[in-house]
Amino acid sequence: MMYIGIDAGASATKAVVVNNEGEILSYVIVPSGINFKVSSEEALSKALQKSGLGSEDVLYTVSTGYGRALVNAKSTSSEVTCISRGIHKLFPFVRTIIDVGGQDSKAIRIDENGRVLDFVMNDKCAAGTGRFLEVMSNILVKPIDDLSKLHFKSSKPVKMSSTCTVFAESEVISHISEGSAIEDVIAGLHEAIAERVHSMSSRIGFEKDIAFTGGVAKNRGFVDALSKKIGLTPTLPGEPQIVCAFGAALAAMKKYEVTVSRP
Amino acid sequence: MSSQRERSRVLQSTRKIGELILEYFSKAWDAKAQGKPVAWITVFTPVELLRALDIYPIAPEHFGAMCSARGLALDYFQEAEKKGYSQNLCSYSRCGLGYVLSGMSGLMPPPDILVTFRNSCDVYVKWWQSLRMHLGTPLFVGEAPYVLTSDDLDNYVLDYVVKQLEQLVNMAEEKFGLKLDMDKLVEIVKLSDKASELWLETLKLRRFKPCPLGGRDSASDIFPLVVMQGTDEAVKFHEELLNEVKEKANKREGIIENEKFRLLFDGIWLWYAFDLIKYFEDRGAIFVYEPYSEAWAYRLDASKPLESIARKVLAMGLNLDIDLRIERFLESIKEYQIDGAVLFSNRSCKSWSAPQLVTADTLSKEFNVPYLLFEADMADPRQYAEAQIKNRIDAFLEVLGER
Repeated sequence: MMYIGIDAGASATKAVVVNNEGEILSYVIVPSGINFKVSSEEALSKALQKSGLGSEDVLYTVSTGYGRALVNAKSTSSEVTCISRGIHKLFPFVRTIIDVGGQDSKAIRIDENGRVLDFVMNDKCAAGTGRFLEVMSNILVKPIDDLSKLHFKSSKPVKMSSTCTVFAESEVISHISEGSAIEDVIAGLHEAIAERVHSMSSRIGFEKDIAFTGGVAKNRGFVDALSKKIGLTPTLPGEPQIVCAFGAALAAMKKYEVTVSRP
Repeated sequence: MSSQRERSRVLQSTRKIGELILEYFSKAWDAKAQGKPVAWITVFTPVELLRALDIYPIAPEHFGAMCSARGLALDYFQEAEKKGYSQNLCSYSRCGLGYVLSGMSGLMPPPDILVTFRNSCDVYVKWWQSLRMHLGTPLFVGEAPYVLTSDDLDNYVLDYVVKQLEQLVNMAEEKFGLKLDMDKLVEIVKLSDKASELWLETLKLRRFKPCPLGGRDSASDIFPLVVMQGTDEAVKFHEELLNEVKEKANKREGIIENEKFRLLFDGIWLWYAFDLIKYFEDRGAIFVYEPYSEAWAYRLDASKPLESIARKVLAMGLNLDIDLRIERFLESIKEYQIDGAVLFSNRSCKSWSAPQLVTADTLSKEFNVPYLLFEADMADPRQYAEAQIKNRIDAFLEVLGER
């Protein structure tokens, strides 16, 4: 018997399968593309396949993320709740979570029971999200996975004056044409996005311990830049990108229990 | 089925607002045809005084809101932007300027006089000066100093505004040969006060659980208090509305069936996105208090008409010191049993948005009331990210549900 959480995010769709104990049996990450229905079906069937179980064993499914309403699931839950559940299960000592995804960044404060006390999300702007880095990696013709490696080679990060994705694009081009090393530009971009996320998160404070989640937390360069700004060492899940889907699976387990306990 | 349900969430009285608005504009054209002067005014400019002078007041801000609600604003925005007005300017001003630049063939008759008071908004004076530049119409600019303490509503600050009201009367007399009829002014002030009294009484009924008047109603029902103050129609509308809401309250009938969360909304409404109110209501959340809807009511004393009107010009919500505003905020939390606050950071209205964090922090620290702050524009749908906002609303309501 198992439960599934699907996080249909702006950039990637994640599916996580958990057992009765809330332990992860399998997970997958697929690109969201332009059709959440298609990507969520794909994520779901691949995750089931990996778990070795069949769809008849699934007791409850919860979807979350931008495409949550388009996913074939029993109910939906917001990312803020799902991320909090996921992190609380993994690291019960965490009180502050900073999640940076494809289109959103958020900071969440939770209590000792994993309950959300407060949260803050980015304004209507792509700066400070994964999209910013995606755009920049395209201009620099460097795969997004290389950004981390190059970051740590930088000795003199450039100072980006604009965090607007559109303006930063031309700024990157002029830095490169003026002869800045690519690694310095990349480190500068990480600084810029970290600064943005840091100022947004400051409103709810940084109560210890802090954890970073979301796809962008896989980028060690960004993690390095943000940790330095905050002045704390974050707890990092093994796969930061699936925490939200994991929380959705835990929510599915809880919702199933509520359903069956009712006569 | 769902449209039936949605309809039932709007009060009978509220449904009459659309007609009232069209009638209001049609009467403006009638006035124009009869040779009466039409004034374009900014809101919280003394409508009562203009009415007593037999000048017909129209508020382009209201026009902007209405165009946005009816999906007509975009053409006007683009008209203004084509001429070089920046998208970063207030959307009401872009709509009004676009209307002028596109030939004024719609609902608003061209003005004979432009009247504004600098009492809340930084854009007013420059916007009205731009209108004068395009139209060549005479302009009156009044100055209402910022109200730092409630004493300012009685001291030399008040005298200063009264003086300017007298200057406005002089200007109307000189330009149009009109005479101010004091008896008429007293009658108009009485009617204006009556409509305000009725609206305040109506709003108080939202303290009932379940709440008998929702966000969709309050956003529309203010119209008679924006430009129709001092008319019988405004009083009649608010009498009927009060009766309807009273009846609902007595029957313990709410706007939504299963009222789970009672919310405060801070800001001007997003006129093109009324469905957002429905989105909240579908999830058991209802708006029970908005500083914006309350702001339109102001009690006047007919025995001192000019002082009263001057006080109203001064006491316009955004012209009040932030401490005075917060005080009212905090009272409302208790009065209306509010579970959470939704703050709309409006790209067009910096005077409204700038102090929001101060109020929000006070709310959460003093009352432990959680809040949601989101960004959009009041009239320009191009600044609105629906999925992103709904995403935040879902998370916010889940947080409220867990408390």
